[in-house]
Amino acid sequence: MAAVASAARWLFSLRAAGAERHWRRLCGAGLARGFLHPTVTGEDAAQRRQVAHFTFQPDPEPREYGQTQKMNLFQSITSALDNSLAKDPTAVIFGEDVAFGGVFRCTVGLRDKYGKDRVFNTPLCEQGIVGFGIGIAVTGATAIAEIQFADYIFPAFDQIVNEAAKYRYRSGDLFNCGSLTIRSPWGCVGHGALYHSQSPEAFFAHCPGIKVVIPRSPFQAKGLLLSCIEDKNPCIFFEPKILYRAAVEQVPVESYNIPLSQAEVIQEGSDVTLVAWGTQVHVIREVASMAKEKLGVSCEIIDLRTIIPWDVDTVCKSKESIL
Amino acid sequence: MAVVIAAARFWRQSRILGQAALLLLRRPGARGLAISHPHGQQEQFSSLDDKPQFPGASAEFIDKLEFIQPNVISGIPIYRVMDRQGQIINPSEDPHLPKEKVLKFYKSMTLLNTMDRILYESQRQGRISFYMTNYGEEGTHVGSAAALDNTDLVFGQYREAAVGAAYAAKRANANRVVICYFGEGAASEGDAHAGFNFAATLECPIIFFCRNNGYAISTPTSEQYRGDGIAARGPGYGILSIRVDGNDVFAVYNATKEARRRAVAENQPFLIEAMTYRIGHHSTSDDSSAYRSVDEVNYWDKQDHPISRLRHYLLSRGWWDEEQEKAWRKQSRKKVMEAFEQAERKPKPNPNLLFSDVYQEMPSQLRKQQESLARHLQTYGEHYPLEHFDK
Repeated sequence: MAAVASAARWLFSLRAAGAERHWRRLCGAGLARGFLHPTVTGEDAAQRRQVAHFTFQPDPEPREYGQTQKMNLFQSITSALDNSLAKDPTAVIFGEDVAFGGVFRCTVGLRDKYGKDRVFNTPLCEQGIVGFGIGIAVTGATAIAEIQFADYIFPAFDQIVNEAAKYRYRSGDLFNCGSLTIRSPWGCVGHGALYHSQSPEAFFAHCPGIKVVIPRSPFQAKGLLLSCIEDKNPCIFFEPKILYRAAVEQVPVESYNIPLSQAEVIQEGSDVTLVAWGTQVHVIREVASMAKEKLGVSCEIIDLRTIIPWDVDTVCKSKESIL
Repeated sequence: MAVVIAAARFWRQSRILGQAALLLLRRPGARGLAISHPHGQQEQFSSLDDKPQFPGASAEFIDKLEFIQPNVISGIPIYRVMDRQGQIINPSEDPHLPKEKVLKFYKSMTLLNTMDRILYESQRQGRISFYMTNYGEEGTHVGSAAALDNTDLVFGQYREAAVGAAYAAKRANANRVVICYFGEGAASEGDAHAGFNFAATLECPIIFFCRNNGYAISTPTSEQYRGDGIAARGPGYGILSIRVDGNDVFAVYNATKEARRRAVAENQPFLIEAMTYRIGHHSTSDDSSAYRSVDEVNYWDKQDHPISRLRHYLLSRGWWDEEQEKAWRKQSRKKVMEAFEQAERKPKPNPNLLFSDVYQEMPSQLRKQQESLARHLQTYGEHYPLEHFDK
């Protein structure tokens, strides 16, 4: 058995080596040069970056929310969902593959803990997932829908923009689907290609009636997700998938809220304002320190957090203080 | 073991290796089939061809190549209780409704008809901007609504949301059914597919009520679908389905009543396809003589109208007569006109309401826009018909 397995491993590695040779030939042909490798000479090989680069910067341990636990991003999501289902008996979680724990492990353990009528799979149909979620929310129950990848949110675009966003307005507040939250893994990972990498928040950024929220870290994610779930408007919560395992922080075990539509100035500066959200906050932190070091420029960094309705005042105040 | 088989198949190098692996699979205790079946049933798998075990379907094998022929010549039969002269065909299907209830059916249908006439005319006169009539379909509305409870939820479209509401009602043990109305045209949307599939897989107490009136604006059913209408799709989703004569208010009532009872008791969806005919234009923006003959329309208006059929039923029982008809027509006209004039006198909503209810709370950007409009109207208000709007 072991011999067979190691034979298989050897055969696999042969194939991988063949692929690697083929790839090097391609690079040598100059196709990828300059695009993938910013420096061409041999001495800079160590500096060459072959994957999306950033370093996750954890925030200091929060003191005001009680006991904390080391959690990565997907664990902080699970914690938020656990808190929600514990305190709101009407809350349900549904989407593709959420029952066994989800393709990113965000819902692990919840079905066993809360029951199959509260954590369940749906058929493979995003417009159905969101439309169904709207219906649950209309009755006043809390609906937490998952879209497996933000790249797949487009079949649900009509339901989100034409139905969810307008439900309260078009009925003169007779009906609403405010207790709907849609969560979805978001953003690039380096190997996701066209349909596992997208950041579609811009498509929703001008749709009145919904809120769009993107966290930069586990602590932010749990507080913001809990706020989205409790918010009385339909919310979309995008989770930077590259941070699911890479971002680790101390996160409060109990429930807490981070307010929506409030940007956070995470670093003060006097020369220029940098605004970012999600993964890019960590990239831009690095940019700020490089600017300080190489150009002597003092950058103010703002994590926007909520894309719509966005915190105009914080960003404008930042501009004013710079001028 | 699985890795070995995958590896072997992947390179097509070692068929022997693959076959050896398959043999190994058969041993009890090895991964694969042996685990999912108790030891006693092992004899049945001496040949893997005997009974299909695919997770995706429960069916027998067949060794003859044959495509299933969709039956559109002789489709799902149409349930009816009354004939065109309002006579009960099968007495055991007579709902035996009391006089007051049947009169309520009749008055609802005719009041609706009166309202349609008056509002259609008012659009022609420019008093309202747009209207859609219900001519010919009054039976579907009234028959189905009469079979529901006051606390049931009605969705006029929004098929997937209806399913969600039904799921929440089931969880809450609310004893409510959700009914969702849509036309045979809307049944082509992905929404309908999603709604049917979710309702069936998630076991929701919902009635899908399809009004098949022959046209989606100008598109006849021959251009909308090629199968046997909408009822035939239900079984494809695992949904109990029925086709009814939509112009027979008792058939609609009976079917909806039974569907409601079972949907709530058994937590499963029902599909009712009510066959009817759209006698009027699609809307006040439509002139249907552009795509169908006046003769066709007249045929349905004269030969198979839900109001006429119910009137025949009432007359034959002595529950209605010409005098009551005249009096009721006058009374219903008056009722509609009074409501219309009262509505016409109301001013349009205050412009401030443009900004509220977008969100539950008004965000600062919207408040700024609201204030900006207020300032604009203070300066330039004379250029706007503000007298028509609520202060």
